[in-house]
Order: sequence, then structure tokens, then C-alpha cells
Amino acid sequence: MQITEHPVLDKKFNEEVIFYFNNQSLKAKKGQTVAAALMANSIRKLGASRKLNKARGVFCANGRCTSCFVTINGLEHVLSCTTLVEEGMRVSSNESDPDVRGESNGN
Amino acid sequence: METDILVIGGGPAGMSAAITADRAGARVILVDESFSLGGQLRQQTQHFAPLPGSEEKVRGTALGNDLIKKLEASKVKILKKHIMIGSYRNENIGVTDGEKTFAIQSQKNIIAPGAAEKAKIFPGWTIPGVMTAGAAQILINRERVLPGKNAVMLGSNDYSLEVARQLKACGVTIKAIVEDKEQMISSDMELLHDMKNVPVYLNSTIESATGKEELNKVVVKTPAGLYEMEADLICIANGFDPIIEPFEIMGCNLAYHKELGGWLPEYNVYFQTSNPSCYIAGNAAGITTIGPVLLTGEIAAIGALEELGFMEQEEAEAQRKELWKELAEIEKRENEKTFRARSELIEGFHQKIGMAFPEEFNMVNGGAHNG
Amino acid sequence: MDKSTIVCRCEEINIDEIETAIKNGAETFDDIKRLTRCGMGPCQSKTCFYPVNEIIAEYTGMPLNEVSLPRLRMPLKMVRMSTLAQDSEGSNVVSVFGESVEDGES
Repeated sequence: MQITEHPVLDKKFNEEVIFYFNNQSLKAKKGQTVAAALMANSIRKLGASRKLNKARGVFCANGRCTSCFVTINGLEHVLSCTTLVEEGMRVSSNESDPDVRGESNGN
Repeated sequence: METDILVIGGGPAGMSAAITADRAGARVILVDESFSLGGQLRQQTQHFAPLPGSEEKVRGTALGNDLIKKLEASKVKILKKHIMIGSYRNENIGVTDGEKTFAIQSQKNIIAPGAAEKAKIFPGWTIPGVMTAGAAQILINRERVLPGKNAVMLGSNDYSLEVARQLKACGVTIKAIVEDKEQMISSDMELLHDMKNVPVYLNSTIESATGKEELNKVVVKTPAGLYEMEADLICIANGFDPIIEPFEIMGCNLAYHKELGGWLPEYNVYFQTSNPSCYIAGNAAGITTIGPVLLTGEIAAIGALEELGFMEQEEAEAQRKELWKELAEIEKRENEKTFRARSELIEGFHQKIGMAFPEEFNMVNGGAHNG
Repeated sequence: MDKSTIVCRCEEINIDEIETAIKNGAETFDDIKRLTRCGMGPCQSKTCFYPVNEIIAEYTGMPLNEVSLPRLRMPLKMVRMSTLAQDSEGSNVVSVFGESVEDGES
């Protein structure tokens, strides 16, 4: 949920942008990170873990833990906590590792 | 790319070091991995005092903006969104902007990567809604987003209570403070007063954090039994540890000092590590408060400037003496154990490399150093 | 604590797997890493290094300052292969990998 009236800080974001998460159109503030833009829209599950396929979201918010991976404009494993949201950005949740050794890959 | 002094990290220590180095006429490049400068000051709305040369309380965000203004008015070349990925054999530092990788050749490096929050594990700590206290603070103050509505704070140190207070001011309900020790860690009367209506569970741990895809239930294990509560946010506040990766890759010797946060590089009174090209500043040199963080940046910069001939020995010694005096004063006052541990680390390193203590250090350190 | 509690978030290694590795002779983070993949995920042990060393210390009775650190390698943070390979004539990817091999740090 977006904080509209911050208890001590001045208003920071003015411009609004539209972006997409798993093909759903969402509003965000220009200057927010992708992770925050999703949380502002009450989306906290950003992906699934690679082995056990468990839900993952923001943990450190500082670009270290990699728990907030998403796919942005087709690029996989992007840190959503350190990437700023942009107009028209296509974000999708980070799903567990692709089965590169599967039959579909000729193995 | 080539420079006299390369500063890694655009937080308070790195900015303080870069501003000092630029003022003395050195060419300086500052690299920071974020899209904006300020480091952790960017979300610290709490007031800080004392600062070097001032007893006046200043909001962390305001202090950060002030340093950014000074830095941007200087000749320092600022590389935002650049990540140090390692070093080459010739000690050039490898940096990437996400598009390309390149080397920066510098005479001296001042490495100020800051600190990271220590994780604390419990069943369910990987579920969305469980995050570090720092992450929650970033979300409310930098991003202006609520990380949840009902929070459980794990840990009762000053930082935990500070974040709890800030969350509360944004409308988040603090359901509980869970502490595995037998008493609250924080002894800050103001913070404790602000939390007086929050249930505190001592000698307690989080038994489980569950929810389908997001956290919605927390079970706390207390000496009186299990308590179940509805919560969509757990903030882990388990203290900080110095970020050591850049030092490791530069071959700096590390030592373990619990009071300074754990593993960290050894350094001398000039804040120079065992790798003579690498100076250290800020919380990476031991977890401390903002005053010492800024001062270590200045002391490190002066060491590098002196070595490179941008500052006369006499001038450097005089400035260092004053800075060390202030560092000792502030740190002894705010956290004497930290200062003692820092002195022990420095003393140990000097003994190890057979380096004499300069007079200025003996003075400020007083009784802690017995030869 | 429940032994199925995850310690390494990236590779999803739990307490039981780490203790089993210690039972089998692991004494350091790197031993555990080689036996379980703990710390080999995208964060490169930045998150789990203290919790893992605490488990080693508790299990073996070794003081925390004697439990050695995981071996760190370049790159310090996640970087894409295409980024490393970009502009490789400027001595980038060649020297990163070339020098590692020369140093015998395979």
C-alpha cells in the first residue's frame, strides 16, 4: 500500500507511470523501485524459489540477498529492489529454474 | 579509467572521504552501486547527534542530502549504478555498469561498503512478508510503501525499536517484540517509552511464520507457552556485520571482533589495511554510529592524501590528531565497547606488522594501549 | 529449531543437511558448500554465511572466530556473461578468467 501522507518526510513522488506485472496493468510512482511499485499494489510474492518452488519476496531490499528476483522486459533474474520502475515496463514473477535438461531441449 | 583516489561506496563514509580527498586537490572517482547516493542515510529519518563538530541533532536524510550537495559541487567523478566486481592482478579494480565491464586504475582506494544486516533464521523466514528491519525502513521512507499492516519485530536492539517506532508512525500496528535474551537489548529510554504499549516476549523465539504465499500467521514460543498471532510482516533486527567482500578480493587480512560486528579487515591508525593500496572507512571498519562513520572517512582520506603527496606530513598529522580525538570522544561516549574493540584491533595489527604507534593515537587512546 | 528450517535461501539447504555434512566431516563453510551447494546460489553466501558459521560453531563447539570464512571469488556481485564479455579486447573478460587460472585458483 502506498503511503500518501508520510509522518515526517515531504512528498517525494509526483509522476505516475503504468507498468505491467504478469500482464496485469498497474500504477506506480516514478522514482520507485520495481519491488516497491509491486508492494504498493499489494503484490508481495515476487517469485518462486529454484528448488522447492516456494514463494519469495523482498528480504534485504539492498541488492544483496537476491530474494526479490523478477523478469523485466524478458531479462531474467533482475533485482527488483535496486531497479527503478519505468513507463511500460513488463515485469513478470521469477519462476523456478527452467528445466534446461528437459526433453524440450533435445536431451 | 585512471585516478589518484578511488572511493568504493557512496554512503556517509565514502562521501566524507571523497569530499576530503577532493578538497586537497586529488583526482577522485566515487563508485556506488545504487541509482542514488547517500547509502543507508537515504531512509534514516531518525535524528543523529553528536556529529563531528556539532551537538545539534540532524535527521539522517537531511545529513545525506547535505553530503550529496557537497559532493556534487566538488570535482569528484561520480559513477552511480556501478558495481565493483573484483580486482585484477595489477590491482586495478573491475567495475560494471551492467552494460560493460571496465578497469579503474587508482593510486589508492578508500573502500567504504558499509554494513549488512545479519540474518536470523526460523521456520518460515523465507516467506514474503519476512524481511530485515532495514528493508522495512527502506520501504516506508525511501519508497513510501507500507511493507505490511501488522508487524512482529524480531530483536529488541535500538535499531529494531527505531524502525518499530517509524513503522508505527506510518500506521503499522506493532503486534509484538520478540527477544531471545532475558531482557531488552535497547536501553534507550525514549525508544522504550515509545514502545511501552507493545507486548514484549523475552526468552522467546519465532516458532513458525506461515501463510500460503504471503505471511499471515506468526507463532511465538515463550517460556509461558506458544502464542499465535496474525501478522503480515516480520522485521528481523539481528544487528549488522561489516561488508567484507571488496577487502577479501583485494587480499586484505581479516580478523574477528565480535564487538565490531564480526569479521572485518585489520587496519592501522591511518585506516590502512594490510594491502597498502586499500584504506577502509565507515561501518566496514566496525559497526558504529554516524559521527565516527564520517570521521573514519576523513582519516582514511588524509592517509591516502599524505601518501600521495597531496598533503604535507605535518599537516596530515595535525588533522589526523584532531579527527582521532573527536572520534575517540564521540565513540567512547556513545559506545565505549566499540571504541575499545577498535583500539584492540588497531593495536593488534600494529604489533603484528611491527609498526610504531604515532603520537596522536597514544594520546587519544590513553590507557587502552599499554605498549 | 525444526531441522527442516532453511538456512541457505538461494539453494534451499536446511539445518539437517548442514548438520549431516558436519557429521560427515565438514569443518568449514567451504566443506559444507562442496557437499551441499549451500552458499553457491546467486547471493554467493552473503545472506547465509553467519547463520551457517553459527551452526558449525554450535555443533562442533568451535568458537565462531575460528570457523573460517567461505572462499570468495569474482565477480563480487551478480553480473551477466554478456556484460563480462562486452568490449573484451579492453582486457576485461580475458584478464578476469585468465588471471584466475594462472594464479592456480581454479
